[in-house]
Amino acid sequence: MACAPNRVRLLCMLSLTFGFFIVEVVVSRVTSSLAMLSDSFHMLSDVIALVVALVAVRFAEQTQSTNKNTFGWIRAEVMGALVNAVFLTALCFTIILEAIERFTEPHEIEKPEVVIGVGAAGLLVNLFGLCLFHGHAGGGGHGHSHGGHGHSHGGHKKHKNGKVRRCETLEDSRSAGEETNNLVGNQNNSPNGVNPDRTTAEMCHSDSLDLQINGSAPYEELENGHDSASQLNMRGVFLHVLGDALGSVIVVINAIIFILVWNPCKPGEVCENPCVGQHCADHSLNNSSEVTEGAKIAGPCWVLYLDPTLCVIMVCILLYTTYPLLKESALILLQTVPKQIDMHQLNARLRKLEGVLAVHELHIWQLAGSRIIATAHIKCHDPTSYMDVAKRIKDFFHDEGIHATTIQPEFVTMNSDSRTSLCELSCRTQCAPKLCCGAADAVKPPDEAVDAKISCEAKTPTVTSTSATSLEIISESVEETSRPESIVIMTREVESSL
Amino acid sequence: MLPLSIKDDEYKPAKFNLFVKLSGWFRSILADKTSRNLFFFLCLNLSFAFVELLYGIWSNSLGLISDSFHMFFDCTALLAGLAASVISRWRSNDSFSYGYVRAEVIAGFVNGLFLIFTAFFIFSEGVERALEPPDVHHERLLPVSIAGLLVNLVGIFVFQHGGHGHSHGDEGHGHSHSLFNGSVGHGHSHGGHGHSHESKHGHDDHGHSHGGHGHSHGGHGHSHDDPHCHDDHSLTPGKGSSKQILQGVFLHIVADTLGSVGVIISAILMQKYDLMIADPICSMLIALLIGVSVVPLLRESIGILMQRTPPSLDHTLPECYQRVQQLQGVYNLQEPHFWTLCTDVYIGTLKLLVAPDADSRWILSQTHNIFTQVGVRQLYVQIDVAAM
Repeated sequence: MACAPNRVRLLCMLSLTFGFFIVEVVVSRVTSSLAMLSDSFHMLSDVIALVVALVAVRFAEQTQSTNKNTFGWIRAEVMGALVNAVFLTALCFTIILEAIERFTEPHEIEKPEVVIGVGAAGLLVNLFGLCLFHGHAGGGGHGHSHGGHGHSHGGHKKHKNGKVRRCETLEDSRSAGEETNNLVGNQNNSPNGVNPDRTTAEMCHSDSLDLQINGSAPYEELENGHDSASQLNMRGVFLHVLGDALGSVIVVINAIIFILVWNPCKPGEVCENPCVGQHCADHSLNNSSEVTEGAKIAGPCWVLYLDPTLCVIMVCILLYTTYPLLKESALILLQTVPKQIDMHQLNARLRKLEGVLAVHELHIWQLAGSRIIATAHIKCHDPTSYMDVAKRIKDFFHDEGIHATTIQPEFVTMNSDSRTSLCELSCRTQCAPKLCCGAADAVKPPDEAVDAKISCEAKTPTVTSTSATSLEIISESVEETSRPESIVIMTREVESSL
Repeated sequence: MLPLSIKDDEYKPAKFNLFVKLSGWFRSILADKTSRNLFFFLCLNLSFAFVELLYGIWSNSLGLISDSFHMFFDCTALLAGLAASVISRWRSNDSFSYGYVRAEVIAGFVNGLFLIFTAFFIFSEGVERALEPPDVHHERLLPVSIAGLLVNLVGIFVFQHGGHGHSHGDEGHGHSHSLFNGSVGHGHSHGGHGHSHESKHGHDDHGHSHGGHGHSHGGHGHSHDDPHCHDDHSLTPGKGSSKQILQGVFLHIVADTLGSVGVIISAILMQKYDLMIADPICSMLIALLIGVSVVPLLRESIGILMQRTPPSLDHTLPECYQRVQQLQGVYNLQEPHFWTLCTDVYIGTLKLLVAPDADSRWILSQTHNIFTQVGVRQLYVQIDVAAM
C-alpha cells in the first residue's frame, strides 16, 4: 500500500526521537541541568506528534467500511493533521510564555558546552527527520505547492480520466471509458513499491458491499485519496519536526554566542552580575572589558536576551507555516465544498441537463484527499425517463471529478408544474431555511423563502407536497397514508407548509 | 482644471466595515443565551487575569505574572467556544453547503486537545519539580487561589442549572447527560504548579493558582425543551447543537476549580506538615484527572468528525433496513451511510435496488417515513432499477 513507506519513515523517526529523548533525560540528570530536562519534554511532545501521525496512518489503512464507520477510516489522516497542527499551536503558546518569562528574568546558561553538544545532536536528528519527510510531504513548509504533483485536491479538477476503473458490474456503463492512467504512478513521488494495477485487480474481486463510498467503484481513488490525505498528515509531522529543528538551531546558536561573548563570573572571584535579578534589566551596561572599579562585572547583558528573542522569531515562523495546515484540515472537517468546485456554476450546469427540472439540496463535500461526495435531489418528469437522466447526471459528476454521488429522484406530479422548484421530500431539520430546501437556492421564488421561514417557527404538522397522487405527508403523528391512492391531503396550499 | 482637493471618502470603507462587522458580531453574541453566557464569563476571566497581571507587576512577583499569562492562555478555550457558537449560526453559502454547523464539533475537539496538552504540560512540570524540588513560598498563594476558587464556584453555580435537559426519544442519547454529570469533579490545577521553578532564583510567590478562570458553560446542555419528537423542530437554531462547545468549556471550568482546590490542599499540606513532595504529586494527579475527564468528549467529537454512524442510531438502523427491504418492489438496500452533521442532525444516503415495475414514488416516501421516525431527516435515496 501507499502508506507502507510512510509508516516506515514514521517508525524510524519515532525510534530516533525517542532514543534521543532518553539520552537527553539522562544527560540532564547527570549534569543536573533543568533546561535540558525541559528541552527533553519538548522532544517528548515531538514523539507524541509522531505517534499521532502513526496512529492516523494505521487507521487510515483500514479503508474497508465497517458497520460503524461506513466510510472507513480515511478521515483519520485529516484528523491526525489537525491534531498535530493544534499541538503545534499550543506548543508555540507555551514557548512564548516561557520567552516572556525569560525576558523579565534572564539567566545564564549553565554548562554551555554540554548544551552545544546535545543541541547539535538534536539538530542532526531533526535534520535527518526533515529529509525523511520532506520528499514525501511535497514540501509542506516551503511553499512550493503540492498542487504541482496533483497531490492536492486542487489539482483534481480535470482528472476525468483519473481514477475509476470499473470493477463492478452493478453500475451500468456510465463509467466506461474511464481508465486508470499513469496518474497514480506519477503522483507517488515516493518509492511506492506498489503496482497500482495489481492492487486494483485484487480489489476488484472484493465484495461490492465493501465499497466504502457511494457511486461507482473508485478503487483507484483509494490510492489517490489516500495519498492526498496522507499529504496533510505528513505535512503536520514535517512541521513539527521543523519546529524542533529550529529549536535546536536556536539552542546551538545561543550557546555558541554565549561561549564566545559572555564573560562569566568565575567562582571565587568578586564580581557582580548586574543582568540577573533585575526585572527592569539595565541595558546601559556594556562590555565587561570596561572595568571601572576593581570588581568584575559579568558579561554583556544583551546576550541573555538573545535566547527569548530568537524563540519569539521561531514561534512566528512556526505559526506562519502551521496556519495553512490548520485551516485546510479544519475546512475539510467543516464539510466545506472543495476548493476546485464552483457550486453555483455546477448547479447551473446541472439544471441545464436534459430531463432535469430542478435541483434541490445539492451538497458536495470532501471526505478526505481527493474523495468528494455529492448528494442531491433531482426533479424529473417520471420514473421512466429517470434512468436516462440518472446516467447523464452521473456522467456529469464524473466529469467534475466527483465519483461518489447519491441522487434522489423526485417526480413531477400532475398539477404542480408551476411549483417545480418546490422540494417534494424536504428535510425537516432544526432550521429548515438554513439547511434544507429553503436554503440558499439560487432559483427560488421569494414566497418560498417566506414559507420555509414560517414553517420553521410553526409547530403544525407540515405538508410537503400538494400532489394528488404521489407523496404522502410526513406528519408528527405517524399516520401516514401508505397507499398512493388514499392520499387525502395536499390540496392545502403551499403557504402553510414547509 | 486641476482638482483643488480630493475627497476619497467614498473609497475608504475599510475601517467602517470592520466596525460594522464587529457590532454585528456583538449583536449575534448577545442574541443567543449560550454565547451570551460564554461572553460574560470570558470577560470575567479576562478581567481576573488582568488584575492578576497588574498585581504581579506592582508587587514584582514573577509567579503571579506568569500565572496571569496562563490564564490568558486558558481564555483561548473560552474564546474558541464563543467563536464556534457564533460561527455555527452563520448561513450556508456557496462554499459551505451545510452551513457552518460543524464548527461547534471542531471547537469541542480543539478544546479537548488543548486540555490534553495542558495536562501533559502540568505533568511534565510536576515531574520536573519532583526531581528537583524548589522552594515554594506560599504567602501570596493562598489568597489568590481562594479568590480563583470563588470565581469558579460562582461560575459553576450560575451555569449549573439545566445542565442536562435533554429528553430525547432516542435510547442511545441518554449517555450524553450522564457524560455531563460525570465530568463534574475533574479538574486541573495548573494553578500553582505553573512555574515555581522560578523559585530557584530566589523569588517568592510563585505558587499561583490560576484556578481563577474557570469557564463554565455548564449552563444549558442543549435544551431540547420539547420532550416530544425531534420532529418538532421549531426551536431556535443551534441551541441543541451547542452541546459540544459546552462540554468542552465546562470541562475547563471544572478543571480549574479542582485546580484551585488542589493548590489550596497542597499549600496547606506544605505549610502544616512540610511535605514538599505534595506539590508535584498533586500536579501529577490532577493532570491525570484532566486527561481522563477529557476522553469522553474527545471520543464523541472524533466519532462525529470521522463520519461515524451516530451512536444513538446503532440499534435502530438495522431494523430500519429490514423494514425498507420488506417494501414491495425493493430487492436490496445498498451502501447505507449515516453520519452526524452536528448534534442531533443526522444525514443519510442509501441506494435501493428496485424492480422495474415498482412504484418509485411510493417507495421513496415510505423510506423517508421509516427513517424520519428514527430521527434521520436528511435522507437521500437513490433508486436503481434492476435490469430485467
